[in-house]
Amino acid sequence: MVRFNLYSAEFDANPFDVYKELRDNHPCFWSEDAQKWVLTRHEDVLNALNDWETYSSAKGNLVDEFPGRAGNTLGTMDPPRHDEVRSIVQSVFMKRNLNHLIEPIQQIAKGAIDNCIGDRKVFDFAEDFAGEVTYKVLVALLGLPETDDPTEVKKNALLMVQTDPKTREKGPEHLKAFEWMKDFAAEVIELRAKHPGDDLVSQLITAELDGRKLDLIQVQMTVTTLVMAGIESLAGMLKVFGYNMAVFPEQRQKLLDDMSLLPDAIEESMRFNTSAQRFRRCLTKDVTLHGQTMKKGDFVILAYGAANRDERKYPNPDVYDITRNSKGHVGMGGGTHTCLGNSIARLAMKTAMEVFLTEIPSFSLAEPEDRLEWVASSNFRSPVKLLLVRD
Amino acid sequence: MVKINFIEADGSETELDVQDGWSLMQAAVSNGVEGIEAECGGSCCCATCHCYVDEAYLDKLEAANDKELGMLEETVAERKDNSRLACQVKVTPEMDGMTVHLPEVQS
Repeated sequence: MVRFNLYSAEFDANPFDVYKELRDNHPCFWSEDAQKWVLTRHEDVLNALNDWETYSSAKGNLVDEFPGRAGNTLGTMDPPRHDEVRSIVQSVFMKRNLNHLIEPIQQIAKGAIDNCIGDRKVFDFAEDFAGEVTYKVLVALLGLPETDDPTEVKKNALLMVQTDPKTREKGPEHLKAFEWMKDFAAEVIELRAKHPGDDLVSQLITAELDGRKLDLIQVQMTVTTLVMAGIESLAGMLKVFGYNMAVFPEQRQKLLDDMSLLPDAIEESMRFNTSAQRFRRCLTKDVTLHGQTMKKGDFVILAYGAANRDERKYPNPDVYDITRNSKGHVGMGGGTHTCLGNSIARLAMKTAMEVFLTEIPSFSLAEPEDRLEWVASSNFRSPVKLLLVRD
Repeated sequence: MVKINFIEADGSETELDVQDGWSLMQAAVSNGVEGIEAECGGSCCCATCHCYVDEAYLDKLEAANDKELGMLEETVAERKDNSRLACQVKVTPEMDGMTVHLPEVQS
């Protein structure tokens, strides 16, 4: 019997064989390990994303949710409230309002390159480049305090996305990280209330909708989520892109020969090695799918990482091919809950990787692929460390 | 299924069979039609799924509500009489055969 044990540390090293088995033979699968349904076909995941009335986010969207979070963040609200709040925050995240960040991101990326070059041939792309770029971009975008040492923020963001593999719940250390991040968010909010800037937190505090401001708890939970999601998902996407570039040198060469392919290479990376692997919904009514009846109140895992490898949607799905049209992938989710940060993530990746590939065009994994350790998270998939060697 | 033909600014055409009840935006985005960005995912707050619908079909579409009319002020490409936000147009069987033109820029 096939198992979908997303709590096993090894699962994310290669979830794709299990995903294929599920897509082919158990497209609507009850996972004993997760105690949730799992949808893996592209069509089913997309239908669920496009039907928020049936597949509700109001009981949380993380596979393992934190207490008090659901209902207080964009990702855990259903329309119409979701749309009202999104109207407030959307403008900060729109492509047309992000151009002022291109130059700062280039500078940030150039600064991070200094961590990767020098006497040593080996560097950790995860920490030295992806982590560094991500945190500094968030400082600029959200208005986080500038600090020389973001170790604590990064450590807690990482803990927040993890789940205890034994209890299959958030453990004390994860809850503590959540509390830490809430306190951190409160400090940022206080800072920006006193010293407003053109950053997102300042806008969240002052934003009004129909004469009403957002509740403080909503601002706090939203900032908490943006820091956690920002750090883990942008860094995660950068890491898997770096990984794909290292293990598919012929694709990297194709890109180096024609850098106008970079946006396509990034889209294909999101499809092929999706960092946002799995999110959760809760059914508001009984749904019968592929002969199974899922009950109202049941939780459903939407396996984006599996949908993006569905051969019903993409020919040769297990091939990383930067020249294919991979649009329509669900690497940024979809429907009304499409990732709020999708434009800044794409812009940051493109800008930062342009710098990286110009400075360090040739590299490979510094250790065998099977030694890579993947982040133990029921939501996200990315390597903990990515040791690369410059050729 | 309802047939909708998307024509991009460069003239390339994509004919899609769209599920009744889906929005034009959902259909376009999930099938890789390039000319629609839909940054906000369909919450009617970004105006990057701007499209021009076939005038012959205009009266078959539900009229734009105030929120959509407000967002249509924000489109980057020229707003015309047949401008709509694709996320707000739900496909119905009456739209079968409709052509949707996409503008040159969304943002």
